[in-house]
Amino acid sequence: MALFDTDDGLFSRRQLILAAAQGGLFAILAGRLHYLQVSQSETYSTLAEANRVNINELSSARGRIRDRFGHVLADNDQRFQIVIVPEQAGDLEMTLASLQGVLALSDRKMRELRRRISRSPKFKPLVAVDDLTWEDFSKFNLNIPFLPGIEAKEADKRIYPHKEASAHLVGYVGTKTAEDLRRIGNIVGDVVGRSGVEREYEEALRGEPGVRHVEVNAYGRTIRELRTRPGEAGDDLHLAICADLQNFLTQRMQGHSGSAIIMDVETGELLSLVSTPGFDPNEFSRGITARKWEEMLAHDKKPLMNKALRGQYAPGSTFKMLVALAALEAKLIKPDEKISCSGIYEFGGETFHCWARGGHGPTDMVQAIEKSCDTYFYDLALRVGIDRIEEMAKRFGFGRATGIDLYGEKTGIVPGRDWKRANYDVGWRPGETVITGIGQGYFLATPMQMTVMTAALANGGRLLTPRVTKQDGPAEGEQIDIDQEALSVIRRGLYAAVNKPDGTAYASSLLINQQRMSGKTGTVQVRRISMDERETGVIPNSELDWHLRDHSLFVGYVPHNKPRFAVTVVVEHGGGGAYVAAPIARDAMVHLLQSGRFDTAPQATSDIRPASDRQKDEKKAPGGETL
Amino acid sequence: MSQFSSQSQRGGVLVPFEELHVPLLVCVALLGLVGVLVLYSVAGGDMSPWAWRHGVRLIVGFGLMYVIASADLRMIYTAAYPFFLAILAMLIGVELFGTKTMGAQRWLDLGLFRVQPSEFMRLALVLALARYFHGVHQADVSQPVVLIVPLALIGMPSLLILQQPDLGTSIMVASAGLSVFWLAGVSWRYFMAGGIALIAAIPIVWQNLLDYQKKRVLVFLDPERDPLGSGYHIIQSKIGIGSGGLFGKGLAQGTQSQLNFLPERHTDFIFSNFAEEMGFVGSIGLLLLFAVTLIIIFRIAGEMRHPFSRFSVAALGFSLSIYVIVNLAMVMGLSPVVGVPLPFISYGGTSLLTFMAGMGVILAMQRQNTADLPR
Repeated sequence: MALFDTDDGLFSRRQLILAAAQGGLFAILAGRLHYLQVSQSETYSTLAEANRVNINELSSARGRIRDRFGHVLADNDQRFQIVIVPEQAGDLEMTLASLQGVLALSDRKMRELRRRISRSPKFKPLVAVDDLTWEDFSKFNLNIPFLPGIEAKEADKRIYPHKEASAHLVGYVGTKTAEDLRRIGNIVGDVVGRSGVEREYEEALRGEPGVRHVEVNAYGRTIRELRTRPGEAGDDLHLAICADLQNFLTQRMQGHSGSAIIMDVETGELLSLVSTPGFDPNEFSRGITARKWEEMLAHDKKPLMNKALRGQYAPGSTFKMLVALAALEAKLIKPDEKISCSGIYEFGGETFHCWARGGHGPTDMVQAIEKSCDTYFYDLALRVGIDRIEEMAKRFGFGRATGIDLYGEKTGIVPGRDWKRANYDVGWRPGETVITGIGQGYFLATPMQMTVMTAALANGGRLLTPRVTKQDGPAEGEQIDIDQEALSVIRRGLYAAVNKPDGTAYASSLLINQQRMSGKTGTVQVRRISMDERETGVIPNSELDWHLRDHSLFVGYVPHNKPRFAVTVVVEHGGGGAYVAAPIARDAMVHLLQSGRFDTAPQATSDIRPASDRQKDEKKAPGGETL
Repeated sequence: MSQFSSQSQRGGVLVPFEELHVPLLVCVALLGLVGVLVLYSVAGGDMSPWAWRHGVRLIVGFGLMYVIASADLRMIYTAAYPFFLAILAMLIGVELFGTKTMGAQRWLDLGLFRVQPSEFMRLALVLALARYFHGVHQADVSQPVVLIVPLALIGMPSLLILQQPDLGTSIMVASAGLSVFWLAGVSWRYFMAGGIALIAAIPIVWQNLLDYQKKRVLVFLDPERDPLGSGYHIIQSKIGIGSGGLFGKGLAQGTQSQLNFLPERHTDFIFSNFAEEMGFVGSIGLLLLFAVTLIIIFRIAGEMRHPFSRFSVAALGFSLSIYVIVNLAMVMGLSPVVGVPLPFISYGGTSLLTFMAGMGVILAMQRQNTADLPR
């Protein structure tokens, strides 16, 4: 047969030589195969039977997670497992029946176990029962002689002593899945961080795997250990969180659906990050039942969602500060210029209402923030225009991720002309500027973004990157371009809102060691109030269905004169900001200041207010505070 | 450009399926399916984590192969140098920005996926050299001046890959390139001289080998010197293959691989798993499948009119066979452990795609044997 019929003699000769060489090598390979698999087959079969050294990788203890004072938030404990090697179980059915008898396992569990056994190689050990109680473990040990091929093992278990309080923050671990393997590559051990800090700091917590050489018999059962190089346990992770404060806030938020954040305005460290309702992460590390999981998913208050990062709300009145800043920057208003509020604002054939039915009368900027006058900001928003508002909101970090070291934060929405056209295919209407001026309408922000904004207002315009872990180096963040004079006007408004009798949050004012809180309430309407309703009287929140009630918001900081900590509280459908969110924020700040753990004592500070203002205040307000 | 327009008038980028060489397609498909089967078995009878992804890559690979097989021969000819330069640039990119895994810098992160340019280099080098020798007259081929450029073409990528360090792929790339020299008719005296120089250089090379590479060679010469360390791979692999016997232990029932005795059992050592579970009969069957594929490729090479096609097809076939031979020799303890995958069967995207692309080139050349090429 002419295998290579070509007219090019040299090529075909050369190719023939190559092909012959390869053919020869293939023949050698075939010969080697014959030698190994036929001639020497028995020798190698014996070797395989007697194969004794098995190298296993060992997972190392996962690092603990601690709060800033060293309190443990995630710890390791031992759990007991029962492992079965089907091939060694003798009469498998009988052994399984005895196992069921000893541990009183349900028929469903047994069916599931049988299914797993049928799908895995007979010589491979598999976990039959996980996380036994001590009692069951003792019962099992008594019955070992009747349970061939079954043995008990110890494994690590993750526990979360603070239960619900740490659920969204610390997160939980679970058995690794194909998705995890794709995300972080092949890892030793079966446990992987699923959410929160456990997920974000997976690599640091996991540690270095060890290696164990064990002698095994032909079925893979361990006879004895030959040598073991232990792995290195994962490092303990120190969070910036204060567990005490976290617990307090979780308690205080009990019964509400929402979130609360406390952040250091100098470093961006988070002292507390709470989302309620929560769940018990221990149930997850134990393996949660499908029913319970479904239940949580279907729950209308969304216990599985970290609302501090993933909840998106209109910021409402807490956004007014940025509208004021935009107006000051564009020199469209002076701080002391008054706008008159009659309770009603007419524009473009539409009627907009101030929350105070009778109106606030002539109002300057500080008063407008203090009393949260809507009319003032309707008017201001129209003067400033949507473009400047949009730009200012983006400058303060809205519309993009804050960059917190936790997975899954949302970015919210900063509406504007381009955004409207891209999403609704119609132009921006001036009426929409009016409601954007009071933080309603399309605008959406996460509580974390509101915290970052508040901190920037408090610290002179540094936009910080929030961190749940303790920071060694300097704070991450950028100085935004903002007029310090304008900022001090805003801070005066925030001071008045909490500490003046007419302020919306006056009921939540506090005084500890001459330190006070500044802040702003927000009440966000989630339904449209009809004309009819206005005439017959607006239905109070308490008579509405839960999901139609207003969101209750508060952002603020302490101490008023030298801000150290920013706080944000958002209570979904809680009602007015002053009634629900502000008191929670106050209680948290009182707890923080009274704990004496944080150095917030007033120091000799430079007074940044004009002298005339200061005198006015000092006459009125007790406590000798300076701004 | 006229060929282009005439092709698009015939409708679309792809040629009708009937124009392709069906026996070769069948062989490639069978090899790929064996890969899916073995990866399923290696995972203890589970499509995840490897088998289903291998299957997906196989489908993508077939798409790529079809597209390349549909390409105009003149375009492949024209693209040979630019393609080589692009891959060379990527290799330099790996050197500068590459990702390190297991101590070697081989991966280039392109955002969406990571590629190993060193694998693509083999194909690029063969095409570039085939094009070069296509333009050289038979009588001039052995003149030293003529050989300077092609030697540089082989040298640059080989040294870059050696630098990563990846001895196995470097040897594979260099040997694929040298096979074009041989096929183009470069005097056998050069090969003799090169061989002698190589043997003389062994002491120097030995000095420059990395510790782990030295260890591999020493352990190959005497596996028992470190049965728990590097020799472990070779010993366990041999036990796996040998204990398979005539008919094997059955799918997913190989104790050697399922009990973790076999190292890297889804990549370089995948044949051990196959041989253990499928036995001598299955192993010889797989060897025959490779042999049939190679015979088909060499027959195609023999039929080629243009030197460009002739050199390319034969060198690609040769390169495929070298991969098979080196890999099998390694797992059967006949050569030192060099990280070389078993074509179409080992788990690994870039390697699979490169072999599929190579097959596409062969199919394109076989289909357009009568087309005109400049000389």
